[in-house]
Amino acid sequence: MPPLLEVSNLTTHIRTRRGVVRAVDGVSFTLEEGETLGLVGESGCGKSMTGLSVMGLLPRGGSIVGDSSVRLGGRELVGLPESDLRRVRGNEIAMVFQDPMSALDPTKTIGHQVAESVLLHRGGTRAEAADRAAEVLGLVGLPHPRERLGDYPHQLSGGLRQRVLIAMALVNEPKVLIADEPTTALDVTIQAQILDLLADLRARLRMAMILITHDMGVTAGHTDRVNVMYAGRIAESAGTGPLFRAMRHPYTQSLLASVPRLDRGPTGQLPTIPGLPPDLTDPPSGCRFAARCQYATDRCRTAEPELTGPATHRYACWHPTDGPRPAEPVDTPMDVEVVLPAQAAAVASAAVAERPVLEARDLVREFPVRGSWLPGRERRVVHALSGVSLTIGHGETLGIVGESGCGKTTLGRLLVGLDRPDSGTVTLDGTDLGRLRGRELRQRRRDLQMMFQDPFSSLDPRMRVGSILREPLQIQGLGTTSEQRERVAELLAEVGLPAHAADLYPHEFSGGQRQRVGLARALALTPKLIVADEPVSALDVSVRAQVLNLMRGLQVSHGLSYVVISHDLAVVRYLADRIGVMYLGRMVEVGSADDIHLRAAHPYTAGLLKAVPVPDPDVERAKHGAGVRGELPSPLAPPSGCRFRTRCPLAQDLCALEEPTPRLFATGHTAACHFPLQTPLPDASPALTGDPA
Amino acid sequence: MSTLDSPLDSPPDSPSDSPATPAPELAAPGRRRFSMPAFLHNRRALVGLVLIAVVAAFCFLGPLLYRTDQVTVRLDLADLPPGAANPLGTDASGYDVLGRLMTGGRSSLELGLAVAVTTTVIGTLYGAVAGYLGGFVDALMMRVIDVFLAVPTIVLLLMMVSMFTPTLWGIILLLSLLSWLGAARLVRGEVLTLRTREFVQAARMMGGTGRRIVLRHLVPNAAGVVIVSGTFTVADSILTLSALSFLGLGLPPPHADWGTMLSAGLNSLYDGYWWQVYPAAGLLIVTVVAFNLVGDAVHDALDVRLDQP
Amino acid sequence: MTAYLVRRIGQAVVVVLGVMVLTFFMIHMVPGSAARATLGTRATAERIAMFNAAYGLDKPLSTQFLTFVEQAARGNFGTSYSMQQPVSTLIAQRLPRDGLLLGLSTLLALAIALPMGIYQAVRRGRIADHVFTVVSFVLYSMPDFFFALVLIAVFSVQFHLLPSEAPQAESVGGILADPQGLVLPVVTLTLVSLAGFSRYMRASALTTLAQDYVQVARSKGLPERLVLRRHVLRNSMLPVITILGLSAPSIVAGAVIAESVFNYPGMGLLFYQAATSKDYPIMLGSTLVVGVATVLGSLFADIAYSLLDPRIRYVDA
Repeated sequence: MPPLLEVSNLTTHIRTRRGVVRAVDGVSFTLEEGETLGLVGESGCGKSMTGLSVMGLLPRGGSIVGDSSVRLGGRELVGLPESDLRRVRGNEIAMVFQDPMSALDPTKTIGHQVAESVLLHRGGTRAEAADRAAEVLGLVGLPHPRERLGDYPHQLSGGLRQRVLIAMALVNEPKVLIADEPTTALDVTIQAQILDLLADLRARLRMAMILITHDMGVTAGHTDRVNVMYAGRIAESAGTGPLFRAMRHPYTQSLLASVPRLDRGPTGQLPTIPGLPPDLTDPPSGCRFAARCQYATDRCRTAEPELTGPATHRYACWHPTDGPRPAEPVDTPMDVEVVLPAQAAAVASAAVAERPVLEARDLVREFPVRGSWLPGRERRVVHALSGVSLTIGHGETLGIVGESGCGKTTLGRLLVGLDRPDSGTVTLDGTDLGRLRGRELRQRRRDLQMMFQDPFSSLDPRMRVGSILREPLQIQGLGTTSEQRERVAELLAEVGLPAHAADLYPHEFSGGQRQRVGLARALALTPKLIVADEPVSALDVSVRAQVLNLMRGLQVSHGLSYVVISHDLAVVRYLADRIGVMYLGRMVEVGSADDIHLRAAHPYTAGLLKAVPVPDPDVERAKHGAGVRGELPSPLAPPSGCRFRTRCPLAQDLCALEEPTPRLFATGHTAACHFPLQTPLPDASPALTGDPA
Repeated sequence: MSTLDSPLDSPPDSPSDSPATPAPELAAPGRRRFSMPAFLHNRRALVGLVLIAVVAAFCFLGPLLYRTDQVTVRLDLADLPPGAANPLGTDASGYDVLGRLMTGGRSSLELGLAVAVTTTVIGTLYGAVAGYLGGFVDALMMRVIDVFLAVPTIVLLLMMVSMFTPTLWGIILLLSLLSWLGAARLVRGEVLTLRTREFVQAARMMGGTGRRIVLRHLVPNAAGVVIVSGTFTVADSILTLSALSFLGLGLPPPHADWGTMLSAGLNSLYDGYWWQVYPAAGLLIVTVVAFNLVGDAVHDALDVRLDQP
Repeated sequence: MTAYLVRRIGQAVVVVLGVMVLTFFMIHMVPGSAARATLGTRATAERIAMFNAAYGLDKPLSTQFLTFVEQAARGNFGTSYSMQQPVSTLIAQRLPRDGLLLGLSTLLALAIALPMGIYQAVRRGRIADHVFTVVSFVLYSMPDFFFALVLIAVFSVQFHLLPSEAPQAESVGGILADPQGLVLPVVTLTLVSLAGFSRYMRASALTTLAQDYVQVARSKGLPERLVLRRHVLRNSMLPVITILGLSAPSIVAGAVIAESVFNYPGMGLLFYQAATSKDYPIMLGSTLVVGVATVLGSLFADIAYSLLDPRIRYVDA
């Protein structure tokens, strides 16, 4: 019997102005009934294009070439007339796209959009189609589906929209579901819910699924077999367990090693993959990974390896490795000091003795809702921050985590003075920033710098990198022109960029290099504290590790303090000495990284940690339940009492009535919960400031 | 001749969901940054630039090589068909049409360029200030623009020229006063988005003053849309002047511009004096098309968006 | 949405007031010019004084403005110097004719431009796209009076197919009774707006075609024709509605020219004649009416937009 889906030698070319991009280059795999196959790789590796090619949905200029074959149940799809392909699409093979915000037509109701597919493939009346739509929307977990058929996409949260998209794909019970990064745009708690939903539906509807993702954690937990793709080709193909335990391809090995791990504390320096993937308009003649591979030989650079090995574990490599890379730090071409945990701890404890660098007390920030000035309307505000306090010691890194909408970005902006609190104070080395005005404030700013998330928008596209790095020096009037130039060269060297980078414009750099420039700019004024808001979330895994290593190295050499804001708990775990967990404008728990990860007291912290996928199939398989149920309530009307109670598994009546005060669980470990998971220390309930040690 | 802000817009040609084609290290196309290769790649731009150069040479260098009397009325030479003495014939006043096309073109081009420069300066400053200050000031400044935009330019112009006798500089002044609105709106919109960009926040973080942020970051980054709108303004102004001339309220007689020639010639079109109409019309249209082509191409070149990694 | 509408209407009121101030002060920039213009430059001082007294031109500007606002609110724009009729009557006669001419031509322009823009976007980079692009570029760059005259030269003078003059009937019904005379003015104005609209529609459709939901619609197996009709058309039209509101002044500008060429008895012609004879009350009244019409036009466009776009319609829901 033929496999459900058999793809062989799939080759997709895309004509662009720059030449023909060989986006998918001879990819073969099979998919059996009821199976989930992962397509894993970094952006640009061709994994999405493989999915689109199977669907026959190529972008402009794209075509499937050569002897490519895609067989569904033995029937060849390549070369099928468009009208026949349309009968397959959305009916036998369906697709779930990445961004739920843009994947729904904003001018059509969700009922209409789900029913459209039913009418198209099954016929029947509109009423029947609407019934079916409501049924499937219920199946994917949309509450009160029948009443919500008339809702428009913008009325739903991101998580609910993704459920609607899944409903749209599943409404005709397809045999194959292609899910292209279905959870990348979602919060980690919602991601866990959606992934569980997909797994559950796949089992119930006996579908097969292709899960396209860049996230090794998601891969570990939700696939049966994995194809690792690199530069348009499959590098390695194996069962999920064997792949993670005994990978043979150096790329798979490096990819896994460079991911910061939630379940392992701050190991030394993260191994990185130097360089960038090759240009697919002109791929190298040998192994495509050779240029970045530490094991590469001349043979790799001249001859391209074919997929070899046993049928259950195939890999394309001349010098296969054997299992994961040993945990010891590996020298990388970039010369950055290796920071060991002991060193970091020493720095942190040294900080304890001194006064904190920055102290925030009871920060409140509210944003009025548009149009609430109208007569007869209640004044409504978004409660972005409702009384948050924290301290940061010298040389210390404080991580701030939480779902989007928890107020962590607002907090960052208040800390560096980009925005002013409605009440509360930010004190820098004993000076109240709120009282500074004009010139005094502008001078003081040099102590507080920020590293931004988006490497595309954080550098002025019309200035050369040299001018970008000189600007802070000019503004603060530091040094003569030649001294400033020297300082620029120094800064570039520090962040591992060549000196001639000063003469280039930002667009001539890759995303990771731009983040380096951003970090250099923040360092230019030798600040005491850098607030990094999602410093690596726009970067690919391999580049991410380089930037994280750099941040840690510079911290030690400059005695910097960091506030690292991220939705990615693993990143924060890697960088932070202490971690603050935020929920809906409140700091619910603060503690040392180990306190948070090993001895979480707040149910929200525990749920959040559980929701983070770990790149280890054994750990992931052992998980049950999604971590945190439901979605973040509206910050317009936060729940009374404990704000987390609506999603808390332990909530009782008390939680709605009374706001929990912070309780001390260990030195420097506090959490605000009526029914904590750890036993609090008997005495005092300190203000939730998370004073170090 | 509709005066829409910028009807000429087209997204880049590369498919938005194409696989990111990772560029070689230290070289990748920038986002929202003028790209010279993309501009030159654009054949429209080249055609437009060449046309403008040819027309400018014709109008400014032509009279040096081809001397004619454009001052004395010679009714004895009126309405002559094209011939050896007058390659494009003569008009109703006996002026040589070819020579008149040159001098007339000078007025048209001078007017277009002068208006474009003044409106660009006024519009950029007004828009940048409104966008940077925001809030109530911005709202007020925008309402002022709305008021001027509510009344069609041609109506205000007709009203003014009915009160004052127009001169070339008078009309340049009037047109400038009425055409900066579009530029101001564009710049304001651009500044409003730029203001939230992270590099502007970074400049504030360094202690940069508002003045520095406007001059070093906002204005250079808004320059692209300014150039586009300026180029379209040249085209629009030439057309507006010709419309005024057609309505008999343009520049008074001894003066020539393509619009005046065209409207004067139209009266004799029924007599079969085609040479008094079509050359002027052709030049006018070619010039306006050329400026629109360049504006369009600059607009596209600015809009090179990048498939982000 | 209520909040949005309240704010938007508030803006419109402010702008209408601004238009009143603007037009009033423009006209009164040169004191005594009205009298001189009407009575001739050799009029005696006494006659000028009499004229000024008769039209209230001897009072202080602020008083004149208040009187003007008060009268304008009642629909009274004074009496025409040259035609000796109330301006309001003259305008009331002509406004419906303009409604007909501009309404017809704008609808026609949209009816052609929307499909044309989508077609171009779908066939982007192909020959058909290039041809339409060149056509709209040339149309866009052509002086509209020249355009009108070429039409006359071809269809009236050369082939005697259509009259070169618009119908002169008093009522809209009368004009419609002579549809042949209406063809050339309507065609002129249609082609003038067509270029801009189709370019916008093309750009807008290109943006829409790049959206994920279009790809999602295809992944459902929807035929391309339905993808375009159900998902692309409406989403691409939305920005064009705003443009429609913004282009009201240029539509009126086109009318001034076209009406003068075809002698169509509308507001444009009235204004043009007033400008040549320096009939200030007519200029003042019709500028104000045009200004208010423009403000209303863009207000309606924004309201239509908010009704058609559920993201705005349900923002308070």
